[in-house]
Amino acid sequence: MTGRAPRWIIVLVGVIAFVWIVPIIGVVVTSFRPPSEVVLGWWRLDNLTFTLSAWTRIWDAYPLADAFWTTLQLATLATLATMILTPAAAYAFHFLKFRGRRLLLILIINAFVLPQQVVIIPLFQLWRELGLIDSFLAVLIPYVGLSFAWSIFLVKNFLEDFPKELIEASRIDGCTPISTFRHVVLPNILAPIFALGILQFLWTWNALLLPLLYLRSDVPLPVLFARIAGTYDLNWDLRSVAAIITTIVPLLVFLVFQRQFAAGAQSRTGAKE
Amino acid sequence: MTALTGTAIVRRRTLLAGAAAAMLLAFAPHTAAVAQDVSGELVIMQWQGGVDAEVWKKLEDAFMAKYPDVKVRELVVTGQGDMRGPMRTALLGGETVDIIINTWPAFRAELVDAGVLRAIDEQWDANNWGDLLSQSWRDLGSYNGATYGVNYTYGDRSGIWYKPAHLEKAGAAVPTTWDEFIASFDKLKAAGYPVPVAIGAKYWSHTEWFETILLRTAGVETAAKLAAHEIPWTDPAVKTALKKYAEMLQAGCCGSAEAMFANDWDGAADQLFKADQSNYQMIGMWVNARARNDYGLTEGVDYSLFQFPALGMGFDDTSSVDSKEVSGTTNGANPAAADAFMAFMISKEAADILASYGFASPSSVADTSLLGPAQKVATAAVGSSKVQFVLGDLLPGDLVDEYRVQLQKFLQDPSDANIDAVTAAIEAKAAESY
Amino acid sequence: MGGAVTTRSTSQGVLGRDERRQPLVARRWHLRDTPVAWLFLLPVLILFGIAVVFPLFDTIRLSFYDIKGLAPPKYVGLGNYTRLFSDPAFLHTLGTTLTFTIGVTVIAVSVGWVVAMLCAFAPRQTLPFRVMIFSAFGISEAVTGYMWITMLRPGADGLVNALIRSLGFPDFAQPWLGDPNTAIWALIVAAGWAATGLPLMLCFAAVQAIPKSVLEAAYMDGAKPVSIMLHIMAPLSLPGVRVAVFITLLNALRAFDIIYVLTGGGPVRSTETVGYFMYRESMTQFKLGYGAAATVILLVAVLIVSIPAVIQRTAGAR
Repeated sequence: MTGRAPRWIIVLVGVIAFVWIVPIIGVVVTSFRPPSEVVLGWWRLDNLTFTLSAWTRIWDAYPLADAFWTTLQLATLATLATMILTPAAAYAFHFLKFRGRRLLLILIINAFVLPQQVVIIPLFQLWRELGLIDSFLAVLIPYVGLSFAWSIFLVKNFLEDFPKELIEASRIDGCTPISTFRHVVLPNILAPIFALGILQFLWTWNALLLPLLYLRSDVPLPVLFARIAGTYDLNWDLRSVAAIITTIVPLLVFLVFQRQFAAGAQSRTGAKE
Repeated sequence: MTALTGTAIVRRRTLLAGAAAAMLLAFAPHTAAVAQDVSGELVIMQWQGGVDAEVWKKLEDAFMAKYPDVKVRELVVTGQGDMRGPMRTALLGGETVDIIINTWPAFRAELVDAGVLRAIDEQWDANNWGDLLSQSWRDLGSYNGATYGVNYTYGDRSGIWYKPAHLEKAGAAVPTTWDEFIASFDKLKAAGYPVPVAIGAKYWSHTEWFETILLRTAGVETAAKLAAHEIPWTDPAVKTALKKYAEMLQAGCCGSAEAMFANDWDGAADQLFKADQSNYQMIGMWVNARARNDYGLTEGVDYSLFQFPALGMGFDDTSSVDSKEVSGTTNGANPAAADAFMAFMISKEAADILASYGFASPSSVADTSLLGPAQKVATAAVGSSKVQFVLGDLLPGDLVDEYRVQLQKFLQDPSDANIDAVTAAIEAKAAESY
Repeated sequence: MGGAVTTRSTSQGVLGRDERRQPLVARRWHLRDTPVAWLFLLPVLILFGIAVVFPLFDTIRLSFYDIKGLAPPKYVGLGNYTRLFSDPAFLHTLGTTLTFTIGVTVIAVSVGWVVAMLCAFAPRQTLPFRVMIFSAFGISEAVTGYMWITMLRPGADGLVNALIRSLGFPDFAQPWLGDPNTAIWALIVAAGWAATGLPLMLCFAAVQAIPKSVLEAAYMDGAKPVSIMLHIMAPLSLPGVRVAVFITLLNALRAFDIIYVLTGGGPVRSTETVGYFMYRESMTQFKLGYGAAATVILLVAVLIVSIPAVIQRTAGAR
């Protein structure tokens, strides 16, 4: 933060953001107006009435508190697991030499191409054999396992710009790889770790396909809301409410986590300039 | 840990099916008695949402009130678009249910071939379900000579929705013949309606017109043969139907193909019911609920329905319908409760609950006076028709996609040459789909 | 300390010049690396193995069978693959996929990157704006997809068309989603709009990682913001950009919901990508074998492209 914030930049970004948010405003408006008014367009001003009907209907019809709690548990656990396991793995891939390093890395990164549909049926059968259907593990394991495809790549990329001299220095000082990791590398890659935290939280919070099939008694919010729309009754007002409710927590996580890199991660331990 | 292969699953299921069949045979004399001893858990595979799910909850509650020892549990599956995918996933994963709700005859065939559904001819005859459902409804729920599904609700797919106010303004009467129908386009355009017929061609609703026209030009048997691929898509009957469809398009009914592609059935419905830019839409009965709830209109007053006009080619007593049925599974844990549930779905109680939501029931004890005016027109028309199931739900999966896309191409160019190209393309796909 | 400047010159590969010069302690790291590496990697490998490798093998196995719905699978060897390569629908998706993924990535990364750099000048003041753009990324695609449909409607009901008309270009207003020529671009705009939040966040993190000393120096020298962006922020935030491109590209490859809601793959299949094709074949039509073969082909294609890239970048790890 240089203390110099040119006005035009803030205005420009503001304009972009407000243009960007138009469809989201549409979602909010649709949640507050009766469907017959917004059918031809939520921006229509001919009949302007605001109603909380969609909000109260959702509140009454769905056990929101339970679903909220379930979603929070699932997303938090998956996010913590990924945030803890990924940096160590990325460090190993980048700074340590071992057999099969490249092959493994290629395999892991390319797995990102796999769509979720490929994963669900075989895992479904596996969980049924193991009796894991309806347990959190049935979704947590794929959540975390699938995340490595992009999370390791993310942290590794930030590691590529990590100054080698620090590693060399700590090695010369006689540090083990583990303590090098803990004391030298880890504190300096907090930014990408929190970035991946934001993403993993968002994606696991919004996840629908896996919990839909694997969880029965405690379901997360997206599964709860999946049946709002019938085949032919589209219920956009209710779905808008559902979308808004579902998005709030990941946005809060974004707000909190991004402080880790917004503050300016200029503190790098080790050698001075 | 080895994943169960598809064949292993089918073998296991066939084994279970065999076991279940053996058990049923052993207890045969007792199944005839209407279940007093119906108890335990009844598992229903539920893929519906919104108002369909609501009405099902009511039906299940009413069933449990009638049979207090039964607890109904829904196995919810859902997804985007065609629900058969999630259903197959659940079944392949080894989920067992007692009741499957089905609206695709092609899916019924697939399930029967895979040994998932059990025939209910015994129960039908023993419990006189024929008193409640006519033979033609029994046929609609049959496959290869055996009955599998009990149809509990249906919808007319040959009805055209309109607004009386529009026709009044244009000085046109409700068309009863094809020529009157075509002639009304000019009157409506003169009265200021740019696009008389609203067609939403984004996914599938443009095929509705073709299907009813096919029935009206070639009859129910021909359509059935086409669905079973006993006649090819290049048959003159298909081309005649498409040429009739082209007649409508060339009379300027529907605007540009691009405008049609931009909308699904709901966007097209908006044009008719809300924006007052269109005057006719041929779509299923569910738009009735949309008109009441989302548009805030009054059935019979603001809008109504007339059955497809007569073509005068000898088959005007035909209608296209969709329906939903319940079927029992071979490996369900509670076949007795499943049978009782199927019987319940065609009872007066169930029919009344359905009617309260605007759904028609094919049951003979259904009280049609509970339905709205537009529904009554549709019900009367279907009652006096030879019915055929919606073609799109009779065809195998990949053929349906090709069929819909080719009909989109037809809309872009309804010329005779293109009709030949389009039918040839569908036939090419059909050759590898059966 | 050179901050974010890399010093890759020390790497020479196995037994290169430098390795021979390294002190004994450091060299012993090599031998001790393997157990530590496996310690760090074991949980990852286990979870990854269960969640990805196991289904992947199953997918490859399935790709050799012809599966129609619940009917018993039939072994067809390479039959699915030969059919795929002669299936005009599949071949057409390849071109569409290229257009779609590149289009979406270009929009999302360029907007995200530029806005991230701009925000770096005033992180606190621009926070609400970043949240707004990120919310487009986080909110349900089905619902925002519907909003886009309403905005892109032909005729008077479409917001975009109404705007175009009011600006005085009535001929330019058209059925964006209905015309096979424009549908793909409308789809790219909507998908790019949704995808921008991710590059924005990652590039912002990357820019913020640039040591303030470097930026301070530039300010002292009187550099204008644009020049700072171009010469300092852009090059130094490349790690974030690389990851953003990677994730956005691969997300676009797998996109389904947004395409389904906006165009259903149409009109006349003009917006069908490989990801959509795979989903349609596997889930909707339940031709699991065929869909699996398409997945394998996609995987192989991405492997071919990425192997050289990974090799080139992992060469510099020491």
